[in-house]
Amino acid sequence: MIPRFDRRLLRNVDWPLLGAALVVVASGVVCLSSLGLGRGGPGIAWRQLLWVGVGFLALLVVASLDYRNLVRAAPVLYIAGLGLLIAVFAVGRTVSGARRWIHLGPITFQPSELFKLIFILTLAWALTWRRGPLQTSRGTIGWTVAMVAVPFVLVVRQPDLGTALVLLPVLAAVLIGLGLRLRVLGLVAACAMAAMPLAWLVLKQYQRDRLLVYLDPFRDPLGTAYNVIQAKIAIGSGQLLGKGMNGATQSRLAFLPERHTDFIFAVFAEMWGFIGCLVLVLAYGLLILRGFEIALGAREARGRIVALGVTALFAAQTLVNLGMVTGLLPVVGIPLPLMSYGGSSMVVSFTALGLLLSIRMRQFQ
Amino acid sequence: MDLTGESTARREAWRRRVLALAGVVGVAFVGLLGQLWYLQVLEGVKLQELSDRNRIRIRPVAAPRGILFDRNGLALVDNRPAFTLSLIPREMEDRDSVLARLSVLLKIPIRELQDGLDRVPPDSFRPVRVRRGLTLEEVTQVEERKLELPGVVVEVEPQRVYPTSVFAAHLLGFVREVSDEQMKHGRYRRGDMIGQSGLERLLDEYLRGRDGGERIEVDALGRPVQVMRREEPNPGAQVITTVDRRIQEAAERAMTGQSGAVVVLDPRNGDILALTSSPAFPLDRLTGNLDREEWLKLVRDPLTPLMNRALQSQYAPGSVFKVIVAAAGLQEGTLTPMDRTYCNGEFHLGRWTFKDWKEGGHGHVDTRSALVQSCNIFFYRAGLKVGPAAIARYARSFGFGSNTGVDLGGEKPGLVPFLNGKRRVDGHGWQAGDTVNMSIGQGQLLVTPIQVARMMAAVANGGILWQPRLVQRVERVDGSIAHSTSSKMTGHVDLSPVVWAFLRNALAGVVNEGGTGGAARIPGVEIAGKTGTAQSVAKSDSSKGQDHAWFASFAPAHDPEVVVVVFVERGGKGGQVAAPIARQIYQAIFLEKVAMVTLDGDG
Repeated sequence: MIPRFDRRLLRNVDWPLLGAALVVVASGVVCLSSLGLGRGGPGIAWRQLLWVGVGFLALLVVASLDYRNLVRAAPVLYIAGLGLLIAVFAVGRTVSGARRWIHLGPITFQPSELFKLIFILTLAWALTWRRGPLQTSRGTIGWTVAMVAVPFVLVVRQPDLGTALVLLPVLAAVLIGLGLRLRVLGLVAACAMAAMPLAWLVLKQYQRDRLLVYLDPFRDPLGTAYNVIQAKIAIGSGQLLGKGMNGATQSRLAFLPERHTDFIFAVFAEMWGFIGCLVLVLAYGLLILRGFEIALGAREARGRIVALGVTALFAAQTLVNLGMVTGLLPVVGIPLPLMSYGGSSMVVSFTALGLLLSIRMRQFQ
Repeated sequence: MDLTGESTARREAWRRRVLALAGVVGVAFVGLLGQLWYLQVLEGVKLQELSDRNRIRIRPVAAPRGILFDRNGLALVDNRPAFTLSLIPREMEDRDSVLARLSVLLKIPIRELQDGLDRVPPDSFRPVRVRRGLTLEEVTQVEERKLELPGVVVEVEPQRVYPTSVFAAHLLGFVREVSDEQMKHGRYRRGDMIGQSGLERLLDEYLRGRDGGERIEVDALGRPVQVMRREEPNPGAQVITTVDRRIQEAAERAMTGQSGAVVVLDPRNGDILALTSSPAFPLDRLTGNLDREEWLKLVRDPLTPLMNRALQSQYAPGSVFKVIVAAAGLQEGTLTPMDRTYCNGEFHLGRWTFKDWKEGGHGHVDTRSALVQSCNIFFYRAGLKVGPAAIARYARSFGFGSNTGVDLGGEKPGLVPFLNGKRRVDGHGWQAGDTVNMSIGQGQLLVTPIQVARMMAAVANGGILWQPRLVQRVERVDGSIAHSTSSKMTGHVDLSPVVWAFLRNALAGVVNEGGTGGAARIPGVEIAGKTGTAQSVAKSDSSKGQDHAWFASFAPAHDPEVVVVVFVERGGKGGQVAAPIARQIYQAIFLEKVAMVTLDGDG
């Protein structure tokens, strides 16, 4: 027999949120299965489904936990996360020039993905640990920023600029949400800008080159820019109704090395056209909207911070990825949450949803 | 049910801010949908067309490799355009039949083509180079059948071309496509041509340059329609070496048919003017399409053409070492120019008898004539007087037993066997017989030709040990200097000027006064040198009765400009085999002087 409070928790599950996530995940798996001819073989969609399953388990576990306990555990998670990030430098595996992956038996995983969530929990802990009313004094904010700066630098050094760049909007959103004056935020931003040249000096030449290519894809016209152009052609040629799963020649003839990961939206857009994109973008929009709704409904500071942070993370990743694929933003390596192929990203996205659910389910307690 | 008890005002503020953030995100989403509308609906038809004829091809444009020049600006290698057969995996729709056709057409094993493709993803749009150096005929054949061979392209790339197949092979080194192993360690792209030995490897970073690329639009038949973007390759830097091509050629000519090595140094600054190892390997074959069997043949060749004998062959110096014994004795005072001995061809030590190379001996000899005649008996006695410790100390100060530090890899250090009064380097006890053997440069003593050249240069220049220099500077295409070196002194032998003068005078006698080096004599050029004959230690060698010949020399004797060291493996006696080779090289070096003397003689 289910205890009484459990039933109340179940009643508060956010079904629209889960529904939107399901639409997105299904779209991703369908795209992957149609890419079967290319690299990775037909197994790629099945493997993605496996990760969806693992992610869903993670979601159930996290949703059944009280998020406040997770925030309490944040210092431990923070240190463990830092350890993993450092371990990447020691035992990490280098793929296309960046050390981001750690081998665990047959699985490789990406600690920087996991750290996105630890980052948010740490923020919540650091901003609320003094108990009592929420502190937005300069001191609290100062040392919170210092605390999140360490892993940030580690992630940049991997180098995983994409992940590092989505952490900034998360930090900004949380601080704004807590009432930080825009003036102070501007000051912090200005300081960060001022520190950039210093970071530039620390980097090695090839890292600088890589960053420059990130910032200006046309520095390497045979590499990144080719992707951007081909992605645009793929998206545009989908037109209003799309070419369907078999007609998507751009995608199936394999023009992009990253079409199953970062550029998967281009594949989707070619297959389903503007109408399909509209549905998908609305699904993402609904998901994010529900996130904001949960942040609004939360009655205490930790829930608010975590909910807002997770929502900002989803929004930032989605917008930056879609912006990059549609040619609005320069290319940085960010997967599209819940769609791009990749175990770490999928599991972490589901865990993040689990956090939102956990907050939502307990907002009436 | 507000458990935190916060004020309505606070909650209202939170609400306002979250809604503001949501608003920002909302605006971004609207912008995104706008861009999608623009791309898919407004631009859709145009992009659809692009997608239909979309066959954009990436064509790497290989950077020409930097040229290596000799000291006078003559090229040691050059580039010429060569045809390369490449496959574009993404465009090969029916891969197996295309490969089969290609294999039959060009008589390339299908395995070779398959191997190249297997290493890249099947959807790659970058051309995979599968064969370099196609003949014009082969190119025509491929172009004629273009329609049957989708995804097969012929590219033009600069390729190394050499004056002759083996010219300066060990010095220059060969260039080959980067191997899987090297890919793991360096920042290379598949298909890059990189230096694999010699200067090509040492200076690869400079020589390679940076490849450019073109993005071209092609039609359905693969014909280029337009170049959409082109990035020019950045040619490799030029290298100005210290080598003198004329001398290098002369040295190689003189060594034809022999195995061994020649080192020509400038004793005034340590510049290597020529360095050859013979037999040499065929550079052009190694750079081109060398198949497995040819490679194995080269590796297993008993004459080891891949080995650089000038740096890697270690042999006893033979009588060349008497110069060291004399230098040690004269400087330490254990030997004087006036010391005399009677040589009857035999020397007894305990129950051992050591013989002179000359049956019946040289009769009365003093220190100078013992060097000139290369009398063993005199040096047996001298060695015992000077003592093994002093000999070994001087041998080491002349650079034996340690690398010269020349830029080419794989140098061997040689061996000075004396460790201390009791033991040899190999751990056995040191016997008087070892001293006797060492006095005439036999026994376990091992040296390389380049070490002998460095030692002879020290005799010629009054004691300076130079680090042999091969590269003067590396110049980028725009004329700026990427790298430059200056002469480096790595040691100094301190002998009194009288001793240096005595040694140089005696060595001049070796060539010009009826000594063992007479075969090197050239009228008009005063050459000084010392012959040496290294007895083979191994039984198998001695049973063939083949000794190794040395001739270490410099000229002009009183104002040395050049050191020439000749080593001939299993050649026989130094005076008979190595000295005439050195003579040919000197003739090339002092061409003008020799010609003048001849003219004078005629007149």
